Amino acid sequence: MTAEPAAQLGIPEDAMRRLAEMRPGSATSLFTSDLSVNEFLLVREAGFRPLGLVLGSSIYHVGFQMGRWSKNQELTTLSQAMYHARELAMTRMEAEADQLGADGIVGVRLEIEFKEFGSDLAEFIAVGTAVKSDHPTPEGGSWRNNHNQPFTSDLSGQDFWTLIQAGYAPLGMVMGTCVYHIAHQRFFQAMGNIGQNVELPQYTEALYDARELAMSRMQAEAEGLHAEGIVGVQLLSHGHRWGGHTTEFFAIGTAVRPLRSDHHIPTPQLVLPLTD
Amino acid sequence: MSEWDGRGLPPVAAERVRRAAEGGAWTSLLSAPAAAGLEVAGFDPAGEVMGSIVQRIGWSTYFGCGATGWSGTNTRTITSSQNAGFAPYAQALQNGWKTAIGRMVTEASSIGADGIVGVRLSQSNLGNNAHEYTAIGTAVRARSQTRPLRVFSTHLPGQDVAKLVLAGWMPTDVVLGLSVGIRHDDWNTRQQMTWGAGNVEVTGFTELINVTRSDARRLLAKHVQSTGADGAIVSSMRLVTWEIEPAEGHTDHVAQATIIGTAVARFHRSTAAPTRSLTYLPLRRSPS
Repeated sequence: MTAEPAAQLGIPEDAMRRLAEMRPGSATSLFTSDLSVNEFLLVREAGFRPLGLVLGSSIYHVGFQMGRWSKNQELTTLSQAMYHARELAMTRMEAEADQLGADGIVGVRLEIEFKEFGSDLAEFIAVGTAVKSDHPTPEGGSWRNNHNQPFTSDLSGQDFWTLIQAGYAPLGMVMGTCVYHIAHQRFFQAMGNIGQNVELPQYTEALYDARELAMSRMQAEAEGLHAEGIVGVQLLSHGHRWGGHTTEFFAIGTAVRPLRSDHHIPTPQLVLPLTD
Repeated sequence: MSEWDGRGLPPVAAERVRRAAEGGAWTSLLSAPAAAGLEVAGFDPAGEVMGSIVQRIGWSTYFGCGATGWSGTNTRTITSSQNAGFAPYAQALQNGWKTAIGRMVTEASSIGADGIVGVRLSQSNLGNNAHEYTAIGTAVRARSQTRPLRVFSTHLPGQDVAKLVLAGWMPTDVVLGLSVGIRHDDWNTRQQMTWGAGNVEVTGFTELINVTRSDARRLLAKHVQSTGADGAIVSSMRLVTWEIEPAEGHTDHVAQATIIGTAVARFHRSTAAPTRSLTYLPLRRSPS
């Protein structure tokens, strides 16, 4: 944003006049949003109005699973739990946005908090800001996705603005998860390796397998939304509270579709910031 | 020194405010970008202001959810808005924030300021159930003919205030939504938590946090509405939970949700806010 001398624009005169005219309790189309000021202004500039903070949450008991600890394997009970609980939170958030008549939800954060309730219990929470566009899409269609649900996106306000400028629209957040148990080494194998720099092929393969499962599940979700691609993918691994050999691999990103055929954005100006 | 009766400002604060009102060098908590931002938007720093209150807040004097023994398979969350037995607890928390912010605003209006930016709220436990609530910020004066009806306040730093004002939005008040909920650990809840329950949502706890959080959100919206603003930018949303055992064999869970933000009011008249963003590529190392 460029700054012009405030006095020229009648600022802060107008701002103070607004404060002088404040009428408590008067009817307004009230919104709340947890976007930062930069994000709030950019979302407005992209042609969207924030409608309200939307939120979904679930407290979930994650089951326990016995396995053969000497074998690389997915712990399907845990994978299902981690996916199902997040889905519950996301669906509840989308339902709130739907009720507000939103076109989409931006700046979605998906968090897991292990609370004081108990060791197998966690709160899964999805928070974002529901937005509505002032205009239909360039081709005159709806901003909602092919399931007629508000789009969801975990992109920041800045990324959302850039995406719209470049002629793409978000469709939905897509995710895939895989909780994987990496085999404990057999005693003789471990003894044989002591003090040597060697690859642990079993370990490497396990990590490949687990990530592949998480990513392919995410891709399958994007295909379900008829997306052109997925942007902003994060591939995370969480140990949570399961000990060293059990890890959750979690892939999450925003599926997008094209709004127009060319995807040019204005050539950016180069600036040298005087800060780190 | 005579004892202070709790009305107005404590004597030392009143004395400091009197000195500040007389003029001289001002103090501020502004960072360099915040000071520059306020300069561009047409605000001058007036002084550093704060408000504080120490009060005793204890849960122990209140009872649990009211349910007895193992009965009640379908209990519901009771929130502090429903005139429950522990409502005074929630009111005390609310009073802490309200008084701290109120005293800060009193300081600001005493030195002839129009608003306070970069407000930071904090709470600390001094032991023996004594809690201090503080609000601290930088008072500013607008270079304008019109004076606002009341002192505006915002958690946003100076540079964010400048961006908002240049885009036709004015921060108006620090707003708060606070709710406390309690729920009896009924049979279902206890079952869903057992080792053999497998993958299952603990519906009771989900209800507890959802009801409590949505009550806090409702109160936040009510607060914003009461200021006459158009919306709010939320800065923090916290939820803490704990277990209480009001009687033998009777456990309840308590959730406390606090949402803090700033109400904003629109003053530009066009349908689109007058922002002009500039796409640029900063010539610095990428963070990775």
